[in-house]
Parts: sequence; structure tokens; C-alpha cells
Amino acid sequence: MKNKKTKKMVLLMVTLLLAFSTVLAGCGGSNTNDTSGNAASGGEAGDKDTVKLKVYLIGGPQRDLPMVQEEMNKYLMEKINTTVDITMIDWGDYSKRMPVITASGENYDIAFTSSWAYDYLPNATRGAFLPINDLLDKYGQGIKEQLDPRFLTGSQIGGQNYAVPVNKELASQWVWRFNKQYVDKYNMDITKIRTLEDLEPYLQQIKDNEPADITPLAVPKGFKPYLAFDFLLGDEFPVGINMNGDTGKYVNVLESEELKSSLKTIRKYYQAGYLRKDVATLEGIDNIKTGKWFVDREQTQPYAELGWSRSAGYDIVTTPMQDPVIFTGSATGAMHAISANSKNPERAMMFLNLLNTDPYLRNLINYGIEGTHYKKISDNVIEDLPAMKDGFQMPGFALGNLFLTYMHKEDPADKWEAFKEFNNSAKVAPSFGFNFNPDPVKTEVASISAIVKEFYPSIMTGAVDPDEHLPKAIEKLKAAGLDKVIAEAQKQYDEWKAANQK
Amino acid sequence: MSNLSEPVKRASAHTRRTGKKSRDLNAISPLSNVIFNIAIGLFALSCIFPFLFIVIISFTDEKTLAINGFKLFPEVWTLDAYRFLMESGQQMAQSFGVTLTVTVVGTALTLYLVTTYAYAISRKNFAQRRFFSFLAFFTMLFSGGLVPSYIVVTQVLHLRDSIWALILPSIMNAFYIIVMRTFFTTTVPDAVIESAKIDGASEFGIYTRIVLPISLPGIATIGLFSTLGFWNDWFNALLYIDNANLIPLQTLLIRIQNNMDFVVQNSSRVVSYDIASTLPTETVRMAMVVLATLPVALAYPFFQKYFIQGLTIGSVKE
Repeated sequence: MKNKKTKKMVLLMVTLLLAFSTVLAGCGGSNTNDTSGNAASGGEAGDKDTVKLKVYLIGGPQRDLPMVQEEMNKYLMEKINTTVDITMIDWGDYSKRMPVITASGENYDIAFTSSWAYDYLPNATRGAFLPINDLLDKYGQGIKEQLDPRFLTGSQIGGQNYAVPVNKELASQWVWRFNKQYVDKYNMDITKIRTLEDLEPYLQQIKDNEPADITPLAVPKGFKPYLAFDFLLGDEFPVGINMNGDTGKYVNVLESEELKSSLKTIRKYYQAGYLRKDVATLEGIDNIKTGKWFVDREQTQPYAELGWSRSAGYDIVTTPMQDPVIFTGSATGAMHAISANSKNPERAMMFLNLLNTDPYLRNLINYGIEGTHYKKISDNVIEDLPAMKDGFQMPGFALGNLFLTYMHKEDPADKWEAFKEFNNSAKVAPSFGFNFNPDPVKTEVASISAIVKEFYPSIMTGAVDPDEHLPKAIEKLKAAGLDKVIAEAQKQYDEWKAANQK
Repeated sequence: MSNLSEPVKRASAHTRRTGKKSRDLNAISPLSNVIFNIAIGLFALSCIFPFLFIVIISFTDEKTLAINGFKLFPEVWTLDAYRFLMESGQQMAQSFGVTLTVTVVGTALTLYLVTTYAYAISRKNFAQRRFFSFLAFFTMLFSGGLVPSYIVVTQVLHLRDSIWALILPSIMNAFYIIVMRTFFTTTVPDAVIESAKIDGASEFGIYTRIVLPISLPGIATIGLFSTLGFWNDWFNALLYIDNANLIPLQTLLIRIQNNMDFVVQNSSRVVSYDIASTLPTETVRMAMVVLATLPVALAYPFFQKYFIQGLTIGSVKE
């Protein structure tokens, strides 16, 4: 009797639980197909209702944000009858926390998204963000005027934009960085250096004449020889288009001749002792701090060497490995998306429009309050005050149109012109604007990534003999389904090209 | 300790008198004793050594560290890291207070709820005993997962940015309940409860005046578990807390850790530079770890006596 009762009770509980969890799982999915409908229910600019926008941004939480936010809100109330409530989520936590916030169905309005944090493509595909093309036309005219059009092209998914890109450097370019004291000491002409092979005589010189604790080629295990490839999923994944070869085909990067010859070179360097002996297990290298290095590699932007030299405390000079190229990933380097659950998409777009066009607001959110956090030296040049370092260090590149921000007195006067020049001079990669959807080959992608983590560090840094280990790695990757991924990428790429008549 | 060495003393006295070796029947041979001691000693050392190393690094000069790497005896000793923490330590002190508050309040609540629940389901004459045991046990097998609990905490209970978000989600723990229930059933004889009843004690009186005092070892164990749990918890704060005044110590540390991982993973980005410059230096991080771990390490000896007692009580057969 009692047993029967308990059984019934249990059955009821389990059923309830299951029902409940399906409902919840449903919430996490894309339950927001009806986005065009609610756009009409919002308000126009002159609406009577004051709206509060919930905004999530990436970066360390700042002590003075509430104070600055108050100033912003005064201004925004006048302009668009809106206030904002900004939450900063720390770099390392952002990608962990935003998916939870989104899945819980919270109706926030604006969130930072990019190709490297709270990833734009999968979340847009999942329906987390609102398609914004209509809103851009209506309330984001200023954005369209200011923004390099390639940003919007590059961040389209199936012909729709789901986020407003930040106007900043659009191209990416790898450079060799040199510790200037050694360049001067040996009168080197670094302008002649471009490829890995070009470095040899200089590395030799350092190795022979400097004490043993100076690392000639100071790189950690993440080092990879530069390859002119347009990678499908970043350079940690061995699939890409050879930009000097057939630009219509995705191939296995590890089987390319370019890589083979580079690996020979890097192996030679390793054996000659130009790299650290433990390079294959070196997570990071603090060569900048110790100053005991000659050359390393980095991705650049205009005048980056000034910033590098400033933070190192000694001079660093650079020379390019390649001409700047625009990839899809660089167009999606920093963006602001409007949530699919947002109750006020129009106001959100108006706010984003101001962020990208209004110098006062843009600098307020970036540098804080004049007289408190910085003082003006001239019209658009400022000097930081101590309060900025203590309580208001915001990541400028993640906040909106970078070209509106004030400069510091160390900055060259043509800084932003140089950025625009840099963007204009860049070539567009063959797959620019193509966004690969890895869902059909998810398992293969995951296992390939795991194999890459195991093999890459030792092979790419020359710590092991490539003739022996590269074939092994290729074999393992093929077993994990590399060819299937390449085929899938090719299929999607061809479809995309056909759709865009390229 | 002295009573342990008593047989050894007797044995050595005996040896002196007779010139012959005789041993306590139950004692292990001196050789294996030495071997065991060395093995356990090594194990203890391997547990303590990493922490010792952290303490040493926190007293090392930053520049020496960058040049020589980690050394057991660094060339230059310094208090800079701790000085830096004291100067910029407003957040540290605040977080320390938050952690302490959460730990004390949380442990007290956990003990109250867990022991009462466990005691009720340990009593054989409680009618709904099986159902409630199952209710607790079921949550050990199936949990809703992260998103549902996030929804409950933020949208049902509205605990975002409140100190209760750090306490309430973890005060009930099925595992503790099971442990405690087992403890009650094995250490509290039914006869005691019977006799208390005959003497006219109320149910609650039996619980507070008889059951609790003889269950101290078990309560101490659960108390230590939950103290450690609350002290080391960082995940709840990561999810629910944005207000800097409510961030516990461990979350402060894990944030630094996450940011470092982020910098390492995105080292090819220009931006990682700006982030790297805002991170505390290696020695300061180690000093933070020392300050975060030391109080708990020091609290442990106070629980020690209960554990020994707990073992002896547990070994008496009814």
C-alpha cells in the first residue's frame, strides 16, 4: 500500500522533472523567430518612455564605472531618452558566462561579441542575436557612414548582419619584432628580412657573440612558421586556402610544400640552438620583461611598436613578414550585438549609433570624465590622470568606433589616418565574408583540434624531426576525419561563392 | 603521544636488563616501521612542498624571478609582494571579509539544515523516512544543470549581486545528509532515545540535549567539509556577482587565473598586451594564494581532535 504510493509519487516526480527540463531546454534554443513582429511595438526617437538598456561588455570591472555611467546617462537622456546599465565581465570569464546568461533567456539588450570571445558565428547561428539590417538602415545611418563597408560584408551570415562591428584595424599582419639594442650593436639592416630563412645570418651572429642566456629566436610553443594561407578555423587548425595557389580550394596545410620547407628551416634553427631547448613545452615566454632576446613574432597594427616599446621600457623595432590581409576573422574582431530577447532593439541601435558617431560619448565611455580621469592638452590629445589607472581602464578597441577616440601625446598625430591607410592598403583574403559552420563535422573538428594540440608544438618549433613526425601527424589527422572536414568546408565555400557570384 | 611510546620504552628497558630483544606482540618490526615512516614522510613532504614553494616565491624579488626562474633559495628576498598587497589591498581586505562572512554564515546554516534533515530520516519511527531519503538521494543522481539553476537563482529568487547568492545555492548538500544520517544511525543507539522518551524529553529536547552532544565528531566533519566548500567556492560568485564589494577572495584569484589563460591563448592578439599589463606580477599572485590558503590551513588543527574521536567512536560495535 505505502509502497504503491511511493512508486506513484516517484513516477510523478520523474515525469514532472522531465517535462520541466524540456521546457527549460526549449528556452535555451532559438525561440525567437519572430523578431520582425516586435520591432514595430517599440518606440521612435521622440518616444515618451524612458528606456533602460542592459549592456554587457568585455573587460575587467572598473571601480569608477558607476560614476562615468551616471555622466553617460545624463547625456543619453537628453539625446535619446535612454539610460544604460553596463556590466563588465572579465576577459577570461566572458565566454563562460555569456552563454549561461543567454540560455537563461534574460532579456539584456547589447552584448560584446567577436571571433575570439563569446563567439559571434555559432551564437548568431543559434539565434542569440537579432538580425540588424533593417535597424541599421533606420537608426544606424551614422554607423554606415563611418564604417569601412568591408566590415559589414565580412560579418554577414547568410546575407544578414547580426552585430555592429567596431571600426578599427581591419587587416592582420605578422611582423618580426627585434630588440633594438642588438640591431644597433651589430649594425643590422633588418629591412632586408622578411621570411624565416632571411633570419639565419642574424641569429647566427647573436648566437656566436652574445652570452648563452640571450635567446636568439624567443618564441613559446605556440610558434608557427608564417604561411600565406587563408585558414578555415585559425592557424591552430590545419585546413586553409593557399593564397599563392589555387584560391578556390581548401587543402590540408600540413601537406603543402611551403610548410615542409619552413619546417626544415626551423628544425635547423632548433638544432643550432637559436630557440630555447624547452620550446615545445613553453606556455609563454616573458622575453619582453627580461630583455634577453633578439627576435620574436607578433601581429601588428599601425604604430604598434611604439606601444610595445613603451610597455617594455626599451626600444623594439619591427619588419613585416607579409603584406596586410583582410580575413573574415579580422572583420569580426570586436562587435556589439543586440540580443534576440531585447525589448528595445530600436533604442539599442540608437545607442550603438551614438557610440560610433558621437565623439563626446565615445570618449566618455573610453577615458572617463574630463578633469577626473584625464586632462586635455589640446583639442583631441589628452594626458591620463592617476584616477584613470586606479579606477577606469577600459578596453578601447571593444567599445565602438576607435577613430573617434582622443590620442595621447606620445601618439603620432596621424595615428588614425595610418589605421585607415593600413585598412585601405590591405588585400582581401579569398574567403573574406565566408563564415564556415562547423556543426555538420563537430566531432571531427573537436578530435582534430585535440591532435593538433598534441603534435603542433613539437613539430612547428623544430623540437622534433619533421621528416619522421609530420607524416605521423598527418596520418593521425586523416584517421580523425580531416578529409571529411575539408570536403565539408569546400562544399560550403562553393555554395557561398555561388550565392555571391564570385 | 607519550602513551604510544610506552611499549617501546618498556621494550628498551627490557633490552637493557636482559641484553635480549623482545618486542610487543602487536608491534611491527623496527625495519618496516622505519620504511613506513619514510614512505609516509615522503608523502607528507610531497603534499607540503608545493605550498612551501609558493610561500618562497611570494618572498622572491620579481626581477630575480624573471631572470633565474623558480629557485628554492632565491638570490634576493623581498617583502615587495606583500607590501604591494597591503597598499592596493582595499579589494583584498573587502574580499577577505566577504569570504569570511559567507563561510561562517554558510557553515552555520548548512550544519543546522543538514543535521536536522539527517536526524529526521535516521529515526526508524519516522513515517516518511524512505520518501525523504529518496528525495535527497535523487538529487545526487540527477541535477538540472547549470542553466536551470542560474534561472532559479537570478529570475525566481532574484539573488543577483546579493551575498545570499553565494550562500543559499550550496547550503543543502545531499552527500552531507547521507553521511550524517549514517553517522546518526550508527552512533546514536535507539535505546538512548527510548530512555530519554521515558524520562519525558520532547522530540526536540532529545535532539538538542542528547543526540547533538554525542554526535559532535560527525558534525565537526561536516562542518569542516562545508567550511572548506564555502571558503574555496568561486563559481557562484563568477555567475552571480558583478559588484566588486561582494567578490570573495577565491573568485578574485580565479579571475586572475582565467585572464592569464586568456592572455596565453590569445597571445597572437595585440589586445592581449593591454590585458597582460593589468595583471598582477607572479610574486603578487603567489602572495595572494598564501593569504587565501593560510587561514584554512590554520583552522584545520582545531578540527583534528574531533576526527580522532570520530574514528574511535565509529569503531565501537553495538
